Parts: sequence; structure tokens; C-alpha cells
Amino acid sequence: MLAVGFESLAFGDNSRLKMMMAEDFVEGTALNPFVIISEDGTISIMAHVPELGQGIFQGIPAIIAEELEVRMNQVTIVKASASRQYGQQSIGGSRSVKTMFTPMRQLGAATREVLIEAAANKWGIDKSQCYAKEGKVFRKDTQASIEYKDLVKVASALELPKNVALKSKADFNIIGKSTNRPDLVGKVNGTADYGLDAKTEGLVYATIERCPTLQGTVKSYDKAAALSVNGVTDVMEVTRTVYGKKNTGIAVIAKNYFAAAQGRKKLNVQWDNAEFTKVSTDDLFNDMRALAKTDGLEHFEKGNFVENLNSASEVLEATYELPYLSHTCMEPMNATVHVREDNTVEVWAPSQSPQVQRQFARELGIPDDQAEEKIKVHLPFMGGGFGRRSMNDALEECFQISKALRKPVKLIWSREDDTSQGPFRQGTVHAFKATFDKSNKTLGMQHKMVSQAITTQGRPSNGRVPFEVMEAINTHYEFEHLSVRYAEYQSQIPIHWWRSVFASTNGVAHEAFIDEMAIKANEDPLQFRKNRLKSEPRFVKVLERLEKEANWNAPLSSNEGKGVAIVESFGTIVAHALFLKKENGKVTIPRVVSVVDCGIYINSDQVKAQTEGNIIFGLTAALKDPITFKNGAAEQSNFNDYRMLRINEAPKDIQIHLMENEEAPGGVGEPGLPPIGSALLNAVFNLSQKRIRKLPFDLQSV
Amino acid sequence: MAKYTLKINQQQYTVEADPQTPLLWVIRDEVGLTGTKFGCGIAQCGACTVHLNGTPVRSCTLPVSATVDQNITTIEGLSDDNSHPVQKAWLEVQAPQCGYCQSGQIMSATALLNSNPKPTDDDIDTAMAGNICRCGTYPRIRKAIHLASKEMTNGSK
Repeated sequence: MLAVGFESLAFGDNSRLKMMMAEDFVEGTALNPFVIISEDGTISIMAHVPELGQGIFQGIPAIIAEELEVRMNQVTIVKASASRQYGQQSIGGSRSVKTMFTPMRQLGAATREVLIEAAANKWGIDKSQCYAKEGKVFRKDTQASIEYKDLVKVASALELPKNVALKSKADFNIIGKSTNRPDLVGKVNGTADYGLDAKTEGLVYATIERCPTLQGTVKSYDKAAALSVNGVTDVMEVTRTVYGKKNTGIAVIAKNYFAAAQGRKKLNVQWDNAEFTKVSTDDLFNDMRALAKTDGLEHFEKGNFVENLNSASEVLEATYELPYLSHTCMEPMNATVHVREDNTVEVWAPSQSPQVQRQFARELGIPDDQAEEKIKVHLPFMGGGFGRRSMNDALEECFQISKALRKPVKLIWSREDDTSQGPFRQGTVHAFKATFDKSNKTLGMQHKMVSQAITTQGRPSNGRVPFEVMEAINTHYEFEHLSVRYAEYQSQIPIHWWRSVFASTNGVAHEAFIDEMAIKANEDPLQFRKNRLKSEPRFVKVLERLEKEANWNAPLSSNEGKGVAIVESFGTIVAHALFLKKENGKVTIPRVVSVVDCGIYINSDQVKAQTEGNIIFGLTAALKDPITFKNGAAEQSNFNDYRMLRINEAPKDIQIHLMENEEAPGGVGEPGLPPIGSALLNAVFNLSQKRIRKLPFDLQSV
Repeated sequence: MAKYTLKINQQQYTVEADPQTPLLWVIRDEVGLTGTKFGCGIAQCGACTVHLNGTPVRSCTLPVSATVDQNITTIEGLSDDNSHPVQKAWLEVQAPQCGYCQSGQIMSATALLNSNPKPTDDDIDTAMAGNICRCGTYPRIRKAIHLASKEMTNGSK
């Protein structure tokens, strides 16, 4: 049995607070931590990667099931808890399928092999005389079969073989097909358990007032006033750590969330934050514009752009600016933690990095080797993540409160907290130059990117280009001279991984300027790209497919516009063609056509869903509100002033086409985002001859 | 604090709450029906949408004291077995991604179809513009509403 009964855990005999985890309810014999088969035939596969909308709850089990030779309708997918037995459970960088595709196939194949071996032993024949299909092992000669459930006991004693041959793409029954997601049933009837839905006996609710300028110290607050609210039980100081910077907030704890929120309003916190009140968006961008005039650091150099700049007949210059943004998951940041009197802990972690056992164990003085036994972590579904939930600040705040009170605590960030407290998507400045000869033939290009870096916050920069900042700047374009440089900006504004990260800014600016170059060269923007990406056949094939699927060369009416862009990020190439229409003075986006080359994919419908989502997410970033700062604080607070694209503004017709090949799987959760902003800007130019270089902008102004 | 008897999904629940407590928190934390979601607290995103006598309302700004003796329907009240045509259509087109906003989307869509069984795209825009989906499932939501409309109107013929 894999499932560890709670009796074996060190809670003491009379503890009525037994921590039952998902694994405790799985019946059957474990062939490995991921596959458990019961004698009644239930084949359970653990979904160990947190699900936040990307479909991985179905995705990883599907990979295992493929090699295990079972049908998806024979499988019960069980949401795992956090445990080292599953290896890495953190998610980000669109990497789950990319990194786990081969290991999970190997696991499924090895598991299938011990079942075959068990059958072969039973029949007294060589295992090469057997094969597995749909949850049974067959013998090749007589076609007699034995079900997995009748083999699992014996098979579990056998050693999982290494280096089992994997199936070829042509033999896949599950991978590459469209498969319904079993988690969606709970998402149409209200039963799916999100972090905010965590239920446990005696739960109390917390909300925290934090410094509006993101940094500052507490001078005073009215504890008594907050405690005077009916239902409020405690008021305490809590530390939030963001990239090494620690700041104090005041937590109000109550019997219900409404009372906690009422108590919070009465805190009247006085902050000492004078030194942090000077930051404004104007200053941030003035600083970055100044940095764009410096040489910066080398990222990629080919030919000699500086020399070419002096000798070229024509020079095109442009500067693009992209704003700071909030992640804004639909489910606001939250956490539920119960630190018990006996130093055991139960955590509900809506987190992209949920393996917090050792971190919390150290804070409780629990030795590392007891961390998993004494600290149990549930993985609820998440109402979006987009990178924000890879920071566990809410979880850490909640842990502190529960550790002090020794009660189960649910901490809920208000939407206002969520919008204004960061960390944010970086704002960027992109300075471009392109050179042309007398006949407007392109010679060279320079892209200087200015931004804060995520990985150097809170520590001195080392003068090298941080690995994350140049993502999606396409250096495959065949220009004689190409110069890509980075100037690092330091600021107190905390920034963090935001869906597609630097591809979300670089991809937009770079592909919009490529369009400017195409126009200057008097070439069709799609042909311009095709002609200069010949060294990269996958790019060319994607563009050719897009040309056909979007009917790119069909003439448009004078009130229509079209834009194209292609970006590679996270190992996947995505090209979008976006169409605009101006009717009765109103501009709409009737149609977007996309081609995705992500290599081998697991679930075609989920690749399409993620790409549709990325299109809407990227359009929101381009057309809706920025996060701006005034006197050190974010000016936006909720959906009234930090608006999202709504159904009436979204493209009605989105068509996603997938390339078929046998390339290794690329990412899917993010790569659809970077090219949509540029396709939009390029379509705006095509429609109106207006070149927009500062985001966000009002579509109705074109 | 006061005692209230609420009629939710045709069941009576007696709860104790401050009269100003938004219905949302009472439904979620006192009654225990957590399908209705918190998104903004200011009636801007629609994640908390429930029906009050068949009309879609934002439960995050509706004081519990105003809902006594009214028929409240939440996502859990649509069907016992996911058989409501709107739920079926949602699954058919695999609409949800993270799924967090979908209870509210489904409640708004159901109210729309109850009052307008054959909505046009413009009708859908008007009725659904109050519900934000950060994952961007709008094209599938539109498709699902048309699909549910077809099933609901075929059934009534």
C-alpha cells in the first residue's frame, strides 16, 4: 500500500485532528507513487502538478496512461498533495509537459512492463510473447488475457525496469488527441475545491492592511478600535517578504471575513514611508529612457551595427514603451494554514511552488527528515496563477498568524490588495534603430532593451545580462548587422514572473518594429518575415500555414486592417494574424487566426484553449489599464480602474491551427501571448497608418 | 448580529450574521456552498453571481438582510447531476480553464436563456459583459450559450 494511514503518523493517539490527505483515500496497490491499481479494477493516477487552468491535471496522467496502455476512461485521476515522492511540483515557464514528457512516459512504460512480466510469469512464457492493451496483458499466441487488477499484487514486488523502449508517435492513442478534462465537471457545478474554498473545523478569517507604498514601517495603529468590532478576535503584526525586503502589515483576525474587513477599516495605521513616496510612473520611464541612450550590455552582436549606422543611407528609429501590470488572478491571493498545538501543520496551498514543508518545518524547529510527516500540504485548484502564485507571500503571512494563534486561519487578500500590492509585470523601454541602403533594402537592426530584472532584485547587479530578460528577441532574422543589448534599471518596485515574462514585453516591441522595417522596405509584412527567417524552417512553415489559414493575401476593404507577428518563446513558435474592422466609427477585432508549433502536444483542445486565453490576456495587456505609480503607490485598485477585456470586446472568431511534427514538446501556457500585442499594433497601422508605440492604448482612438 | 432564514436552492438555512454582511460570505462560509466565488467585492466581475427570484445579482454587494424570504439559487442549485443544459453545453465545448469565474458565468448565462431563449451575439454581449474571465474563455462561453439555447428551445417545441 502506498496510501499511508494516518494512524502511522505521529499525532498521538488521542488527537482528533487527523490530517487526511488525498493519498489516504486511494485504494489499491501502488506500483510506484503515481500509479495505484485496486483489486476492483480502479486504476488511479496521481495528478501531482498543481492545476491553475492549464489542463495539467489531465495532462500528466495522460502521458503516463499512454505508455501504461490504459484508456483515459479507465483511469481515475486523483489530485495529489505536496510530497517529495513526486519529485518537483512547482510550475512555471510553461515547463510541465516540456520537462516531464519523457520521464513520465518512462514511468508509464516501466509500470506496464512489470505488469507484463507478472503475466508472463503466470503463464510460464517469456514476456516477449506478451503485450499490453487497454488495461490487460495478452499472450500473443492464444490471445488469452489477464486484467491489470489481477496482476498488480505480483507486479508490485517486481523491480521497475530502466530504459524501456517508448512508443512512437504513430502508436499514440491518447497523446495528440483531444481529450476532455475531468476537472471541468467540478468547475461547472461548484464542487471544484479552490484555495479560497478550504474547509476545516474552527476556521477563523484574516485580512491584512499593508503599506500602500509597498515599503515603509508602522508608526502606530488603533488595535482597540479594530478589536471593538463584533467578531474580531485578534490583531497582530505580520511580516511580508518580497525578494528579501521585509515589511510589516497589520492582520485582523475574526470569526468571519466580513468582520475582519470591518475591523481592518478601523485600524488607522500610520506609516513611516517618506523615503518611498517619491516614485512615480513618469520618473520610472524618464529614468529608463535615459538608460536607453547608454550602450548597455551585449546580448547578441552580428556584423558591426555601429559602423553600419554611420554609413547607411537611411536610418529608422523608434522607441516602444510597455507598462507595469498586475497579474490579477480571478481568485485573489489567499491561503489556509493550521499550525496545531502539537506542532503538526495542515496547509491548503493555492501555490505554484507548494512544497513548503521544509521551510515551515525550520520555522517550527522540526527536523528536515520529519517535515513531510508533520506538515501536510493540500493542493487546491487555483483560480489562475500567471506566475503570481510562484511567490508564497500570502502563504507565509498566513503561516505566521496560525503559528501565533494555533488555530486554522484563512487569509484572504481583497481585490484591492491583489491589484495594488504587487509584485508586478515589469515596465520596459525598447529603443530600436534600423539601417537601409538607398533603395530601402534592410541592412541592420539594433534593439536596446531597458528594464528591471527579476533575478537581480534586492542584490547588486553583476554586470551580466540576467538570463530571463532577453527572452523572445528573435535573433534569427537575417540582417547583415544585428545588435541586441540590455540596460538594467534598478527600482524599488517589486517585479515578478508574469505570463510569458519578458517575452510579454520583448515579443510585442520587437515584432512591431520588424513590421516598421517591412513597411519601410516596401514589403508585405508576412513575406518580409518569411524571406528573412529562411535559416529557421519551422518559422517559415508556421508563416506559410498562417498565410493559407488566414487567407492573408485576400484584399481587404478600406475599413479593415490586418497584422501579423511571430514569436518563439518557451520552446514553441506562435504566429497570429489579427484582423480589425472599423464600422460606424467603432473599431473591433472580428477575427484572429493562429498557428502554433509546439512540437508533440498532449491534448490538442488544451493547446487551442491556452492559445485562445493567451490572445485575450495579451489583448487586455495592450488595450486595458496599466499599473501606474504616484507618490510611491499603485494608483489602480480593483476592476473599476484596472479593467479587463470583456466578452463584448473579445474577438468573436479565434481559429487556432496546430503544426504536426515530431519535435520535442514545447511550452503551451504562455507562448501564444507575446505575438498578439504586436499583431494588434501592426493591424492598427495597416488600418489607420497610425503607429502606436506606447502601451496600453485605446482601440477606439485609431 | 441577527438571525436570518434564507431559502437557498429550495432549502431553508438559518444563519446568524451582521445585517450588512454580503450574501456571498453567508452562502460560502455560514451555509457552506462554496461554488459561488469572491472576485472583487464591488460588483464589477460577476464571479459571485447568484439568482434572486430568477434574476442575476452580485452577491458580494447584496446585504444578507435584503434576501430574506427570497428564492436564492446558486450554482449548486442548477442540477444534481450536471444535467442543466447550460452545464452540459459548458462541458461540451470544454469552456472552463481555471474555472474560478465559471459559476458566475453559468448563472448569468442561465438567467439570460431563461428570459431570452434565443439570444443573438449582441444579446450575449449585453448579458455577459458583467462577468470577467481572466483566462479568456469568452469565445467558448459564447459558443456554449448558443449550444444551450439550441437544446433548450428544441426541448420546448
